[in-house]
Amino acid sequence: MQKNVMNTLRQDWLSNIRNDLLAGLVVALALIPEAIAFSIIAGVDPQVGLYASFSIAVITAIVGGRPGMISAATGAMALVMVLLVKEHGLQYLLAATVLTGVLQVLAGWLRLGVLMRFVSRSVITGFVNALAILIFMAQLPELTNVTWHVYAMTAAGLGIIYLFPYVTKAVPSPLVAIVVLTALALWLGLDIRTVGDMGTLPNSLPVFLLPDIPLTFDTLAIIFPVSATLAVVGLLESMMTASIVDDLTDTNSNKNRECVGQGVANIATGFLGGMAGCAMIGQSVINVKSGGRGRLSTLAAGVFLLLMVVFLGEWVARIPMAALVAVMIMVSIGTFSWASIRNLREHPKSSSVVMLATVIVVVATHDLAKGVLVGVLLSGFFFAGKVGRLLYIRSEARDAGRVRHYTVTGQVFFASAERFVNAFDYKEVIDKVRIDVGHAHFWDITAVSALDKVVIKFRREGTEVEVLGLNEASATLVDKFGVHDKEGAEDMLAAH
Amino acid sequence: MMIDKKVLACLGRSPLADDVTDYAAWAAARLSAPLELLHVLERHPERSSGDDRSGAIGVDAQETLLSKLSADDERHARTLREEGRLLLDRMRERARAGGAAHVDVRQRHGSLDETVAELEAEARLVVMGRQMPLAAGTHFEQTVRRLRKPILTVPGPFRPVERVMIAFDGGIASRRGVELVAGSPLFRECAIHLLMSGNESAAAARQLDWARQVFETAGRPVDTRLAPGNAGEVIPEVARTQAIDLLVVGAYSRSPLASLLRGSRTNVLLQSFPIPTLLMR
Repeated sequence: MQKNVMNTLRQDWLSNIRNDLLAGLVVALALIPEAIAFSIIAGVDPQVGLYASFSIAVITAIVGGRPGMISAATGAMALVMVLLVKEHGLQYLLAATVLTGVLQVLAGWLRLGVLMRFVSRSVITGFVNALAILIFMAQLPELTNVTWHVYAMTAAGLGIIYLFPYVTKAVPSPLVAIVVLTALALWLGLDIRTVGDMGTLPNSLPVFLLPDIPLTFDTLAIIFPVSATLAVVGLLESMMTASIVDDLTDTNSNKNRECVGQGVANIATGFLGGMAGCAMIGQSVINVKSGGRGRLSTLAAGVFLLLMVVFLGEWVARIPMAALVAVMIMVSIGTFSWASIRNLREHPKSSSVVMLATVIVVVATHDLAKGVLVGVLLSGFFFAGKVGRLLYIRSEARDAGRVRHYTVTGQVFFASAERFVNAFDYKEVIDKVRIDVGHAHFWDITAVSALDKVVIKFRREGTEVEVLGLNEASATLVDKFGVHDKEGAEDMLAAH
Repeated sequence: MMIDKKVLACLGRSPLADDVTDYAAWAAARLSAPLELLHVLERHPERSSGDDRSGAIGVDAQETLLSKLSADDERHARTLREEGRLLLDRMRERARAGGAAHVDVRQRHGSLDETVAELEAEARLVVMGRQMPLAAGTHFEQTVRRLRKPILTVPGPFRPVERVMIAFDGGIASRRGVELVAGSPLFRECAIHLLMSGNESAAAARQLDWARQVFETAGRPVDTRLAPGNAGEVIPEVARTQAIDLLVVGAYSRSPLASLLRGSRTNVLLQSFPIPTLLMR
């Protein structure tokens, strides 16, 4: 076992050193604009987001469950904290960040990562698209009521970002865009908004401090709802990003360790004066694309970010906001699943509805957790509706028309119970009815009471009722989800 | 029907493939055992290739990246597979020329240590290359530690095996080595030396007696000696003066953690020792 630990450590950290370091650098360059932009969304100084990005990246690199994934201050989380910051201030945000971390650690210990299997593909696509739209919308304040210079700068920035890779891929094109636009703005002496206008930038390493809040029940009542939402949103995006990185690199991640890792990172970040964060889809894709695979890439991203901001802070302050907006639009474009629009027509309508509902709810409420909840519930409804259609009832007259034999095949549960009850002919004049449910599954109490109802209805007409095979049919009633794991379970299910 | 247990030769892409094949063919001929040449295609998802540092993500970035990465992997895997097949073909001919009667080849996906551990049950002897220098916790050590069968490690070109020495410490692995050397047809025509390092003591004498007894029962002459000093120095010294062709030694008796803290005696020995070594577990 010790050997395995050593090997895993070496494999996670040291097997891809050069590419991990370079990818970390590329990611750090893209993280700086994001951290600043998300601080602005949350309504705090850029230093809060930058410290958070540093601390979250470094800590998840060490304790997270998905090597190569990038976690930092994110837009999804920033949107949730807007009101708290506006009404109660930064200190409450720091406390909420710590509490978020505690809740996430608990979720990890309780192994809630498994709940992700209820989040369908369509909900994930909806989440990703909603995120992209929110990131884009967050840039709009920088693009309204401004001079034409800003539009020109943003367009030029996007042009450089997407065209420069055709010249060389050795240098990150977002960096080139930022450098060129900053130089241009300084040279022309343009009077446009810069990063320095948005608030304090860090000029030192972060220090440990306790959030300055009264430790009362009132405080808890203020921060708990926000923390709970933050914890859910953070874990959702982190789990999704982890599966994306899993797919891209064809490797597995430890989801529960990732939950705990996100929690630990947020707890520490709250004490270092940073805002809550989580994994980032766009940045993780950039990392993998740039060759990042190991934990070193995430660590490097965090460390490079802080070094650059602290030592080049004076220059960072002069970056025009238009350059950051261009980078963020790139992230938004890269995060959005454009294929999902093409797929709208091909995919089943129910999937498209789930996807669109998720997007609409998120964009309307700015709360990714609500969107996912709606998406998951809708997926459940649609699934229940589909499975409810798998119910067939045949009948034939026997014994010279004195007995009618009904054969029920399929799934009887809340969504199909009504159809089940209506499938019988109660008006038929007959001595006896035999209902064979040996090939049906009774999934819940609704199904059982539907059968009772059928029996009573026949009795009221003076018809004798015999129910066959009820034991087999109601085997599914027992709330033992593990039935498929048991030996012979397949035969059992097939026999029904 | 009893299936004859094989000699399993692990061929990597190392320059030692020829030498491993030669020794494996020699062992298979001596043991009258079938020989299987194994080539393992290792995947390294923890490493990346490519030099795209543009950091720009555009439309359908995720899908584009996924299809690019899987296409790269696919191409890489095909190339490796083809290379492996050519290597195995070449080595099959070489093993036949070297005297092995039944030679089979096999390519597997997976990591070397896991694959060999899986196939070990069908083998009586595992042959693998030993590149110098060895570092602690290397792939070599990792593989050896997982196996329970004797492992012949080959550091260089084939030399006829005429003089065999057992590095004996009385431990269970080296006692197994004594029994193997005494009983196996592998060493039927070899001169056998048994070396115990350390000072004279009642325990040492008892263990040497036991070893002599084993060889006597098997009807094999043996030259035993007790040399004072540190095993790591004495063994190479005696091996050199006696012109030993193959060393038999118990390997990695310490736990990995203990080796890490106090150094692995096996690695120290193998490090300084450019002759084939049969490791007993």
